[in-house]
Amino acid sequence: MAACTNCGAELETPLACGACGKLLEPARELTPFETLGLEPSFELDARELRRRLLRASRLVHPDFHGSSGAGEREAAERASARLNSAHELLADPAARADWLVRTLGGPSESEQRQMPQAFLMEVLEWNETLDAAREAAPGSPERAALAGLATNLREQREDVLAGLARLLVPLPPKGSPTLSRARAQLNALRYLATTLAQIDALALEQASPHEA
Amino acid sequence: MAYSKKVLDHYSNPRNVGSLDKHASTVGTGVVGAPECGDVMKLQIQVEGDRIVDAKFKTFGCGSAIASSSLATEWIKGKTLDEALAIQNTQIVEELSLPPVKIHCSVLAEDAIKAAVNDYKSKQAPKEQQS
Repeated sequence: MAACTNCGAELETPLACGACGKLLEPARELTPFETLGLEPSFELDARELRRRLLRASRLVHPDFHGSSGAGEREAAERASARLNSAHELLADPAARADWLVRTLGGPSESEQRQMPQAFLMEVLEWNETLDAAREAAPGSPERAALAGLATNLREQREDVLAGLARLLVPLPPKGSPTLSRARAQLNALRYLATTLAQIDALALEQASPHEA
Repeated sequence: MAYSKKVLDHYSNPRNVGSLDKHASTVGTGVVGAPECGDVMKLQIQVEGDRIVDAKFKTFGCGSAIASSSLATEWIKGKTLDEALAIQNTQIVEELSLPPVKIHCSVLAEDAIKAAVNDYKSKQAPKEQQS
């Protein structure tokens, strides 16, 4: 990691210096990993990430930079926003993997949307189970089937994430065909997440019925 | 975003919703999906000779995806396989006045037609080799 341009101390984040407290304007757009002083990697210790966020957030906190004028305060607000969006992306394994695949020159989801027929058939079946549950009365077997489906989908999500880790740790080289396999796993995650969100939404409706 | 009248019509009265027996040798099944939005579309064709005599679809997705597949089944019924393969997503966009953000729905429908025709053809291929 680079040194502070103000006092020369080693930096934990390129946004501010922990030693002299100076806010730094990075010369170029930072990657989410750079923002938090990390090397690009799919494997990430969630606690370490959180610790870095909290320490850096304190350094750039607008309350500590307001006294030097409005410009300084705005810079601190910009830095805080950057930190938060970098953390948000890195804390989500799917978003992190998506960023790594794109950055390493892998296909985007619109460039590689093909999925195996068997998988898409399965997605269709999930949706049919969901539809049947939507139309059925609370307490019916159709509604009960939803809980089983949700458990199944969560297990599949864990498997897919484990598969992604096998593909992305260590990081494949730029343009590697492994990236396209990782994209297929990310596509699967998107379908899983969409269906799980719909199941959750239906469960919420059931918890607070407000039908006319 | 406002849907066009034609989209709303297909959405509220979808044509040819349902399923055909996917194991039948005269039926071709295509399942396609859009990972960006989680939409998934199944389109099936029943073929006699080289003509599509029936078509069914089942789509889980937004109104435009449902309308695109509904329209696709209407269009391919009675067409030959080659005529069906010639259908372009741009024709669906034009007919339904789809906005740019919904163009991928029409692409999905075009892909589904192609997948169904290819599935039917692959079912026929081994038989032709035998005879």
